Amino acid sequence: MAVYGWSGKRLGQKSSAALLLTPFVVAYLAFLVIPFLNGIWISLHNWNLMAVAFDPNAKEFVGLRNYERILWGKNIVWSPAASPLVQWSAAFVLLSTLLLTAFGKISRGTAVLVGSIALILFVACGFHPGAGGRWYDRRFWPTVGNTILFVALTVPSITIISLSLAVLVNRESRAMAVFRTIFFLSQVLSVTVVTLIWQLLFSPRQGLIANVITLFGGSPIHWLTDERFAMAAIVITTVWWSLGIAMILFLAGLQDISRDIYEAAALDNAKGWRAFRHITLPNLKRTITLVVVLQIILHFQVFGQSHLMTGGGPNDSTQTLVRYIYQTGFRDSELGRATTMAVFLFVIMGAFSLVQFLLGREDKD
Amino acid sequence: MSGVELKNVVKTFGDIEVIHGVDLTVEDGEFCVFVGPSGCGKSTLMRLVAGLESITDGTIRIGERDVTKLDPALRGVAMVFQTYALYPHMTVEENMSFGLRMNGVPKDEIRRKVSEASRILKLDDYLKRKPKALSGGQRQRVAIGRTIVRGPEVFLFDEPLSNLDAELRVEMRVEIARLHKELGATMIYVTHDQVEAMTLADKIVVLRDGRIEQIGKPLDLYNDPDNRFVAGFIGSPSMNFLAADVRTGAIQSPALDQRLDLPSGKPADGTRLEVGIRPEHLSIDADGSYFRIDLIERLGGVSYVYLTGQQGERVIVEEGGSSRLQEHDHVGLAFNAADLRFFDADSGSRIR
Repeated sequence: MAVYGWSGKRLGQKSSAALLLTPFVVAYLAFLVIPFLNGIWISLHNWNLMAVAFDPNAKEFVGLRNYERILWGKNIVWSPAASPLVQWSAAFVLLSTLLLTAFGKISRGTAVLVGSIALILFVACGFHPGAGGRWYDRRFWPTVGNTILFVALTVPSITIISLSLAVLVNRESRAMAVFRTIFFLSQVLSVTVVTLIWQLLFSPRQGLIANVITLFGGSPIHWLTDERFAMAAIVITTVWWSLGIAMILFLAGLQDISRDIYEAAALDNAKGWRAFRHITLPNLKRTITLVVVLQIILHFQVFGQSHLMTGGGPNDSTQTLVRYIYQTGFRDSELGRATTMAVFLFVIMGAFSLVQFLLGREDKD
Repeated sequence: MSGVELKNVVKTFGDIEVIHGVDLTVEDGEFCVFVGPSGCGKSTLMRLVAGLESITDGTIRIGERDVTKLDPALRGVAMVFQTYALYPHMTVEENMSFGLRMNGVPKDEIRRKVSEASRILKLDDYLKRKPKALSGGQRQRVAIGRTIVRGPEVFLFDEPLSNLDAELRVEMRVEIARLHKELGATMIYVTHDQVEAMTLADKIVVLRDGRIEQIGKPLDLYNDPDNRFVAGFIGSPSMNFLAADVRTGAIQSPALDQRLDLPSGKPADGTRLEVGIRPEHLSIDADGSYFRIDLIERLGGVSYVYLTGQQGERVIVEEGGSSRLQEHDHVGLAFNAADLRFFDADSGSRIR
């Protein structure tokens, strides 16, 4: 086959590829790469939004001072029992992972993922201010903790519930098609609508949940203003909102498993739960990894739910990282510090993306 | 080991009845082949025996037990699927042992059975591999190994060779025949390929549109078909059929160029018939001129001569490999009247 250059009024493969890629690359550079690098640049400055807007020279280069002021404190020490519950659970998980790996019970990818999370938790939670010391930013680490707690509660719930739903509606019937649509429907609503719906549901006076509880003789829970329940309320809202996409991904994964295999399993005396355990789950491994990592990345960025439902309260118990960044940057105008936190968030999410990438590669072998 | 007995088995999908009251007995240790064109219900019938489809009416017995309503796993059957249906996430060894593990068989026994099956099927080198790292033939053997370790009363094969290439198909066909001799178990085998049916079967069941057309030994079906469908389906190349009439107490067919005596059934005058004769029972009569030679396929040992008659009849004649015939020659047919089979043109049933 002849290859035409410009003279033939046809583009070669390379030049047409370049031509077709250009719009994307330009947009990608202009709206992602450059702002990102700019963000890192800002994070190295003492940069007040208002001041710099009026006088571009009002910023001061401070190097890594912002990072220190956010992440560190005065007289910070480390001990293995600073927050015993978290640290010791993490240590337990770490040890079990090592043991299971040694006996070949879990794959290397899973071991690295779980093990490194446990290790990071164990080490990170060990830092605390020593005698007379204090964190420079007292709100930052609790906020990170809230965000991690939020992710730790939502992601497993979403994964388990959406997988169960997917298994239940993975049937060829009209009723199941209707259910699939219904379960997916919540996904298309915007965060404002979702939070509005759930604010009504959670309302201690006229809300549905309060009504049901009263009906059974209980006293209504003040979901959004009670420190014990506010995080739960936000988690429930988020789970309800995000089930759809995870379910669709699981459905796609389920439909990839051939029916023959289930029939062979039925003859091998594996039906129902045992077929799920021995056939469905192992064959869905890739999908589960994908869903979990996507959800982690997505929910680390939680903002709307806490901003609109609880305003980060009560007593900062639902303050999340993105909301804190937003407030620092646009309420307090401390753009330098805000971008520093954003970079921190980027590192966390980047790490999970990397894990997803590595696990995906391992599966192909 | 035990036989299989189907009594008045009916299966409907929604409003459509696909199996219309089948009665069939497969003897203990017999190799029974269900054969028929696609959509004839042969796979459905096997899946009813396996319990993968629920039966609409009738009963199925395996050995002494009525298994009509029994769970597939409890029927004592094991099945080889057309797509092999190996568990993609398990190694060969795990694939073969899965059924035993699910049935709580002790580990030592599992190991013994798997290693025996892998020895029989020459899978020892592949035990730690996953299915995707195996060739088609190896996957096929794993699928068979999975059934052997279960030690079932009845083996079911659903078109097991149709995903293999021609050479491997012959090889695996021999392997399955050998396996049947070695294990002596009852086997039911579904295929649309009548060569597989002829070579493997003790008993062939020919199905069409959810009904049994004929049951019998391979050569009985070949030599003594009950109807035109079986006559045409069994044998390759298939039987030739020529239109004929009963006139003045004899059979007349323009293509056969002679009056033929009536079969003992004595069809009445005016009955329209089809006369069937197999290619190997025909030979070329160089003096005739009714047929023209379209094409000669020379296979070495034999040649197939494709003829077209003056009224468009198509006939295949098997000739010796060294036949001197030329394409476009005009020829006639020679045959022995004893090799002719007569069928009613309307009902297709045999007139003996």
